Amino acid sequence: MTLVDKLKDCAARSPWLYRINAGSCNGCDVELATTALVPRYDVERLGCVYCGSPRHADIVLISGPLTVHVLAAAQRVYAEVPDPKVTVAVGVCPISGGIFRESYAVCAPIDRYFPVDVNVPGCPPRPQAIIEGVAKAIAIWRSRL
Amino acid sequence: MNFLTLFARNLRRGPYTEPFPFGPAAPAPKRLRGRIAFDAKICEGCLLCEKLCPSGAIRFLRTPGGLAFGCWHATCVFCGTCAFYCPSGAIHQTNEWSLAHLEAEKFALAEHGLIPAIVCVECGGKGLDTAPNVAKVRPPLSDEERAQLRARCPKCRNKFLKNRGKAS
Repeated sequence: MTLVDKLKDCAARSPWLYRINAGSCNGCDVELATTALVPRYDVERLGCVYCGSPRHADIVLISGPLTVHVLAAAQRVYAEVPDPKVTVAVGVCPISGGIFRESYAVCAPIDRYFPVDVNVPGCPPRPQAIIEGVAKAIAIWRSRL
Repeated sequence: MNFLTLFARNLRRGPYTEPFPFGPAAPAPKRLRGRIAFDAKICEGCLLCEKLCPSGAIRFLRTPGGLAFGCWHATCVFCGTCAFYCPSGAIHQTNEWSLAHLEAEKFALAEHGLIPAIVCVECGGKGLDTAPNVAKVRPPLSDEERAQLRARCPKCRNKFLKNRGKAS
């Protein structure tokens, strides 16, 4: 093990999650709350906890089709998340627009504006699927440290 | 698992945490509306699913090899309208929910199928190897007659069914 790897191991801590609701119908947000708070799923086993400030976050969960109205605010909040950060698109809306695809009022897909790393499709996705996506995001986050 | 069995189990076991993702996930409910599956062999080629799909996930494409089916799961909202209205049950929903993927695999997450193009055995015209829509035909067709119908173009299929009524 080289010195760089050792330093990386020291730097690895519990990744914190931050949610951005970019015009979501709240379905995915309810599932995100379920993932975190219901003991059956419990995302905190992975070391993740939702934080209130983007400046404390490591993994950003974006739900919603990124409406035109919320685009500037979402970009501003996203820029406040310190690097290295991992972006997870939760639900079909941010991935492709889903039911709102080709609407004049949404900017979906969000990968035109944010560097998305993991996609979790579903309308809404099951809590297990969100945990699976978060586990993939943590693997990417560790490789970026 | 229905509500009552789940309720009884929760009373007996108390709160618990599923081992997933460190262990296997609990089996999903049988009627969970998950990933779309398509069987090109029994598709009638009516394109109803493409017209009904609210999010435009289902697309049919006319190619030289036949009619290509595509369903992109990153835009499918799993509403089940296609499966509900499919006359032959060629399109149905599985209870598979494990769809999380990396950004690089975004466009690979699709279901594909091909209804091959055929040359009509009667007139030599172009046709598709779709399942014949004969649920209402009386008397019911035998398997041999179905195979004969499949090898014909739509016009010759109509002719075949008309002549069949005359002969009997």
